[in-house]
Amino acid sequence: MEPNGSGSDASRQVQVRFVTRLPPPLRVPPASMAVPSHLTRFGLSDIVNLLLKNSDPDHENQPFDFLIDGELVRMQLDEFLIAKGISAEKVLELEYVKAVAPRKQEDPRPHDDWVSAVDGSNSSFILTGCYDALARIWKSGDASECTHVLEGHNGAITSAKFIDIRGVENEQNFHLVTGSKDRLLRLWKCDAAKRRGDPIRVGAYKILVGHTSSVQSVSVNPSREMICSGSWDCSIKLWDVKESEEDGDGNTISLKKRKVNSKTKESEDARLEGAATSTLVGHTQCVSVVTWPDPDVLYSASWDHSVRQWDVPSGKETWTMVCGKALNCLDIGGEGSALVAAGGSDPVLRIWDPRKPGSLAPIFQYSSHSSWISACKWHPRSWFHLLSASYDGKVMLWDLRTAWPLAVMESHQDKVLCADWWNHDSVVSGGADSKLCITSGIEIQ
Amino acid sequence: MGKEKYEESSSDEEVNSSSDVVEASSDEEVESSSDEVEASSDDVESSEDESSSDNEKVEESDSSEDEVAPRNTVGDIPLVEWHKDEEHIGYDIKGRKIMKQPRKDKLASFIEGADDPKNWRKIYDEYNDEEIELTKDEIKIIQRVISGRTPHAEVNPYEDYVDWFEYEDKGHPLSNAPEPKRRFIPSKWEQKRVANLVRKIRAGLIKVSDQHKEEEHNVYSLWTDDTDSVENKKHGGYVPAPKPKLPGHEEAYNPPVEYIPTAEEINSYELMYEEDRPKFIPRRYLNYRSVPAYDKGVKESFDRCLDQYLCPRTRKKRINIDPESLKPKLPSRKDLRPYPTTCYLEYRGHMGPVNCISVDPSGQWLASGSTDGTARVWEIETGRCLKIWEVGEVARQICWNPSPDRPILAVVLEYDVLLLNSGMGDIDIQTKMKELLHISEPGATEDAGDSKSAVTWIQHEKHDGIRMKHFKAVLSIEWHFKGDYFTTVVPSGDSKAILLHQLSKKHSETPFRKLGIPVTAVFHPSKKKFFVATKKFVHVYDLSKVEKIQKLETGVREISSISIHPGGENIIVGSKEGKMCWFDLELSTRPYKTLKVHSKDITRVTFHRTYPLFASASDDCTAYVFHSTVYSDLNQNPLIVPLEILRGHKPEHGRGVLDCKYHPRQPWLFTAGADSIIKLYCH
Repeated sequence: MEPNGSGSDASRQVQVRFVTRLPPPLRVPPASMAVPSHLTRFGLSDIVNLLLKNSDPDHENQPFDFLIDGELVRMQLDEFLIAKGISAEKVLELEYVKAVAPRKQEDPRPHDDWVSAVDGSNSSFILTGCYDALARIWKSGDASECTHVLEGHNGAITSAKFIDIRGVENEQNFHLVTGSKDRLLRLWKCDAAKRRGDPIRVGAYKILVGHTSSVQSVSVNPSREMICSGSWDCSIKLWDVKESEEDGDGNTISLKKRKVNSKTKESEDARLEGAATSTLVGHTQCVSVVTWPDPDVLYSASWDHSVRQWDVPSGKETWTMVCGKALNCLDIGGEGSALVAAGGSDPVLRIWDPRKPGSLAPIFQYSSHSSWISACKWHPRSWFHLLSASYDGKVMLWDLRTAWPLAVMESHQDKVLCADWWNHDSVVSGGADSKLCITSGIEIQ
Repeated sequence: MGKEKYEESSSDEEVNSSSDVVEASSDEEVESSSDEVEASSDDVESSEDESSSDNEKVEESDSSEDEVAPRNTVGDIPLVEWHKDEEHIGYDIKGRKIMKQPRKDKLASFIEGADDPKNWRKIYDEYNDEEIELTKDEIKIIQRVISGRTPHAEVNPYEDYVDWFEYEDKGHPLSNAPEPKRRFIPSKWEQKRVANLVRKIRAGLIKVSDQHKEEEHNVYSLWTDDTDSVENKKHGGYVPAPKPKLPGHEEAYNPPVEYIPTAEEINSYELMYEEDRPKFIPRRYLNYRSVPAYDKGVKESFDRCLDQYLCPRTRKKRINIDPESLKPKLPSRKDLRPYPTTCYLEYRGHMGPVNCISVDPSGQWLASGSTDGTARVWEIETGRCLKIWEVGEVARQICWNPSPDRPILAVVLEYDVLLLNSGMGDIDIQTKMKELLHISEPGATEDAGDSKSAVTWIQHEKHDGIRMKHFKAVLSIEWHFKGDYFTTVVPSGDSKAILLHQLSKKHSETPFRKLGIPVTAVFHPSKKKFFVATKKFVHVYDLSKVEKIQKLETGVREISSISIHPGGENIIVGSKEGKMCWFDLELSTRPYKTLKVHSKDITRVTFHRTYPLFASASDDCTAYVFHSTVYSDLNQNPLIVPLEILRGHKPEHGRGVLDCKYHPRQPWLFTAGADSIIKLYCH
């Protein structure tokens, strides 16, 4: 207990300097100052807000997060320094960033059944798949209305993806794919321009036949010309969707027609059917998820406890990693779009770095969930942020720089079955409570 | 040569002489018959002749005078008896008879003897039948022998000793020869003898006994305490009395002050029980002689004697073993991962206790049957209920067809078995299933025989399946691994208790007749074998020959369920008293291991299809997970390790977990509880 200069305060102080990469209105003067060492990020956030207010009286208080040596501060400063073995003698550089936290909970979009698939890759529409065999398209905004209903599947939809939005803003044509438990994939086209009171009912223009068991996952390649699908029949099939666009135009079949004439239905179905261009075989159990982040590279995760990387042109496996658990979700992203995040039949979200030689151990493990993890997605732009959804009804936001979740969203009352980022600042998630929840206002720079 | 010749000639002479004698004797006989007197003179002559012939012999063999060859050659026989009635007394050396001499009457011989002055010298030789007249010299010899002197007068028995050697002034008494060489070299024969002995000792033919050593130690210490000796312990012999406590400082006549109790302490002694009170209270005395006699001395020694008399001393054996070392060495649970540990998913929806569950062979769907009269199909990965059949009765057991091409569910109701189309699989399979589960002419499918009354195959209108109506209550059902045959067990069915059905032909038969009361029956996972569990035994049948191969004795009171290891050589049997038996069919018909783990009835035991795991579910609301490695090496016994107790179900009407099944491909366990929940335990 050395006598400190300040004397009156029993707690020790550390010299800190606040730095940031935020734009100028949020920058504080780069002078070092002494702060009590027992401060947490909330106290530090108050100090930064105070400094900002000094320079700019119109500043509104907002929470900040603090990084020391690239790690988020999640405890008292002195504890953090001891835990990391950082000397308190030097001036500590505290980088502050805007705290990542959901700010707004939008009204949930009600569904008729469990929401099993969601895609938020379009900035103004959300695509959802549901257990009532329908896929729906939702328009953003406060109206929160369902614009299209895609009919045709005979089983629960397990995966739904936007393939492409053809044209520009004035004429939005969706090109979609859905995979279902009825072993089929369906391709859809619909026109976003038509706006009426009731949702438009749309039929598939093409049916992709080939899987002998439930389709579990669909993924679109970056060039938007191919899709791949993983299924319970242990195979991954690749489908070409480019050629089908020409003949498919304006050829959407009305449901009535198919129902009325059952004899013509078969012939029509045959005409509409498409076959797989190639099949990737290697998994020994259900392929639960496929992703296609790179034109030549495809990743798949399976219940046989493995994550495999496939070279698409040759159709060969290039990398295999066995993790010991049945996997339900997989995403590629993070630093250099190379990290593999996967979750499955246990409450741990694991992240691997396939570039790391000689080791198949996960580099990060996040175990705050209490049940199976059903979905995980990297933020499309950030290297550090990802979200995970679990059967315990929670959606969590993670930052690689800390072991604690940034935010826990408990908007669902039942299992969360799917989740995705939307518009870079929102999280959309669907669950067994038949709701699509949208949490927005998550600022990630 | 010359000598031999001489011998021959001499023998010739002998023969001649003897022939002379014979002639002479024959002459004598003739003469004696004519005239006695002459005969006597002849006798003398003949005797002279004889003596002359004797003399000749003496000359020949001069070694001894006594060796006169006897005339008779018959040997030492009782002559008087044998030749009493014969005319001859024997044979001479040439084989001619020696005739007896004519008997003289006594009177004549007496007169003759009286007349003859030499008569006293005559002896009758009975052997040769002749009289011998002893000579004077002979008489003398006889007289000398009788009187104890040397027979011959000329022999001096006491002759002076003639010393042949000279002793005077000689260094060595007998010989002055130099010492021979052999005295200085080791004996060759001794060496050989020793080498021989050594070789024999080494070969073990001669045992070198050390008896003499033992004899040396055959003494014992007279005064040692032998209570600890082996001999004493062996006979449970003398146990020494515990030694009394030795007096300490407090019993000194002037003990230090700290031993003296204060007055309060003495008062507090009064409040104590008499047994707890100290026996001796220290006191101080001025000198030793003022110490009074110890008043309790007699009583204490009496008590001690009484104690020793009334309490027989025994030697107690205490084994000092570390209890940890008695535990069997089991591998660590961490090394045996993966195995189910935690419940992550629950399948809720049933309104009553879930009696039975079954997992589809692909591992995607779960079927369950409940007391609420429904059978359901669930999606395993999400826990969603996909299908509900209102069967109207308590679903006792449910079973997926193990063939992936036949997504058929068999549901056991009270008297019926429903074969339902689960609706999984693609269109081709669905059309096939519709054909398979269609009965064209209901009621008339069975051919003649008693099986007709046992089972009736009817089309079930409501659920688009087959209803198999049994004549009595059905307890369990089990599919053959190929998915065409299945068996149902009707415990009260007597001779028709075990039924075998073929789905493709919609045909039923009862191959096993005398069985007692079966509880459950299962097929071997790969061979043509069939296992039937009655209340106490498990019978193993060969299906191709329909004959019993083995009978396993479980030793439990009532079997509730059995499960076959996917290898087919090991069986676990769960019983209603909570015991589980592991059978190794190769090893014995008795349990290899009996595990008493549950406090209540075991409802289900089950093996994992691919992982080395098995599990048991019980009414005490727990399910146990075990590891079981079965080695292909027949010498190595299976390794059974208890891994985990799975809790979580709540008791309902005294029942707990009603069924448990493993996921076919993952190390996951499904448990069905009486609290109408199905739980999935994952690794």
